[in-house]
Amino acid sequence: MQEPIIEISDLSFAYPQQQKKALSHINLKVAAGEWLAVIGHNGSGKSTLAKLIDGLLTPQSGTIRVAGTELTPTTLWDIRKNIGMVFQNPDNQFVGANVEEDVAFGLENQGVPRNEMLKRVKKALVSVGMLNFAQHEPARLSGGQKQRVALAGVIALQPRIIIMDEATSMLDPEGRRDIIQLLKSLNKEKGFTVISITHDIEEASLAQRVVVIDDGTLVQNDKPAKVFQRGTALIESGLDIPFSEKLKNELKSYRIAVPQEYLTEKGMVDWLCQFISKK
Amino acid sequence: MSIHFEKVNYIYQADTPFRHQALKNLTVSIPTGSYTAIIGHTGSGKSTLLQHLNGLLKPSSGSVTVADKTITAVTKNKELGELRKHVGIVFQFPEAQLFEETVLKDIAFAPKNFGKTPAEAEQIAREMALLVGLPEEVLQNSPFELSGGQMRRVAIAGILAMKPDVLVLDEPTAGLDPKGRHEIMQMFAQLHSQKQLTIVLVTHQMDDVANYADHAIVLEKGEVIASTSPQEVFKDPQWLLKHHLALPKATRFAYELQQTGKVVFEKMPLTEKELAASLVDLLGKGGN
Repeated sequence: MQEPIIEISDLSFAYPQQQKKALSHINLKVAAGEWLAVIGHNGSGKSTLAKLIDGLLTPQSGTIRVAGTELTPTTLWDIRKNIGMVFQNPDNQFVGANVEEDVAFGLENQGVPRNEMLKRVKKALVSVGMLNFAQHEPARLSGGQKQRVALAGVIALQPRIIIMDEATSMLDPEGRRDIIQLLKSLNKEKGFTVISITHDIEEASLAQRVVVIDDGTLVQNDKPAKVFQRGTALIESGLDIPFSEKLKNELKSYRIAVPQEYLTEKGMVDWLCQFISKK
Repeated sequence: MSIHFEKVNYIYQADTPFRHQALKNLTVSIPTGSYTAIIGHTGSGKSTLLQHLNGLLKPSSGSVTVADKTITAVTKNKELGELRKHVGIVFQFPEAQLFEETVLKDIAFAPKNFGKTPAEAEQIAREMALLVGLPEEVLQNSPFELSGGQMRRVAIAGILAMKPDVLVLDEPTAGLDPKGRHEIMQMFAQLHSQKQLTIVLVTHQMDDVANYADHAIVLEKGEVIASTSPQEVFKDPQWLLKHHLALPKATRFAYELQQTGKVVFEKMPLTEKELAASLVDLLGKGGN
């Protein structure tokens, strides 16, 4: 692995007045430029992990290093400049009176000169397809449009790490494809590290690596194809069963012998074609 | 009787530079007892249409008829109370509206507000908790201590406690994991079949449309471009592509398979079950 941009060692956390740990003894490295998916059912601790990395919560024990610096109350503000977070429900993160101001907020905070700021805001809004809404009130946008604006706010900051916490869940299928395409190009061409916390199997399949969190512990850390082989157990990990696996299960109920290994949808089409040709 | 929109126009922020017409001369019906899905690209007017169903928005012109009540631009707000007992809307992230100390009190809020005695309201709240599958032991807890999926159930129970005939759902499973999503969707399906509730579902999840809805209304830029069965909506992928809509996974897969030229589906499958059944049929006949 390249120099890790995030290095988490023996991290544990419990919410106040809760006996049970939300996360216990997590060890995880994320390489610079990697695309990592984090999956787990609701309440498994995924979002807690994201908040710890961004310093929104303070660990009880263990350490987090971001870009070589250990996260502490004094380094927190510098570390956050490396991280852009997009939450599931963007209502919780809007501050501007209109879309443009909202996207500019983070840049103003970092003291980016005005000319540069205007350029970056415009570019970010174009990249998420929301330039026409620059003067609109964030509160009056649809759920999907809000998620786009929240992402624009993060893109404008040009952080090295983007953490998406279920951040495409409200988009329509096409919007989702556009946004994922955008993230892919930021990841590939600009080298942004992407951590995507998701329940969406297609989104998880784009990752180089998938981490499964269950009841606060890291239970699997592997390539998507390996993780997807878990079949029905994936439901307990907060993902749906991949479509090809569902179809295999249905075919099995008709006593058709299907391959054991995980097949992508394309793989499944090929297999079916072969199967038909042999008949 | 059905819900009917007659030549409805709706304009946001009229007489300002931000004037935006969200619904354009829209005429459509939602059959009573149906499970109707409303689909359309972001900004197509789905949410605007939905807010007309219980008078949260009134048409700028035209009329909306729900439960024998006709709403026009000049309908007085105080006339809308009765309507709101008939139509319950579950908004996106409805758990944001929870506020009471206990789950039971939260669910009992609406019936109390609509004039039930505290005892009656509690009785209703208990029934509704059961209906949405909340375990007895959480009823005295604070709703804020529950998991996301359970909080959503509390919020939904609170709406069902008004005993609506029409339940309107705006992306009701957003943010839930697939297991929670499946459970909630099953619950709505049950309410639909057992309580004969009319369900209006606004969603981007085409698989939910395929699995649950019996009627689909497709909106584009504030206009109705289709009002028909899901089967009809999904039969032409080119049409869907043109209108920026997706296919259910099984249908998409069936088209991919058909592209190879090895298989021809007589009827496009909408679900995995239908897909597997047609494949077995084709294979049984010895392929091509």
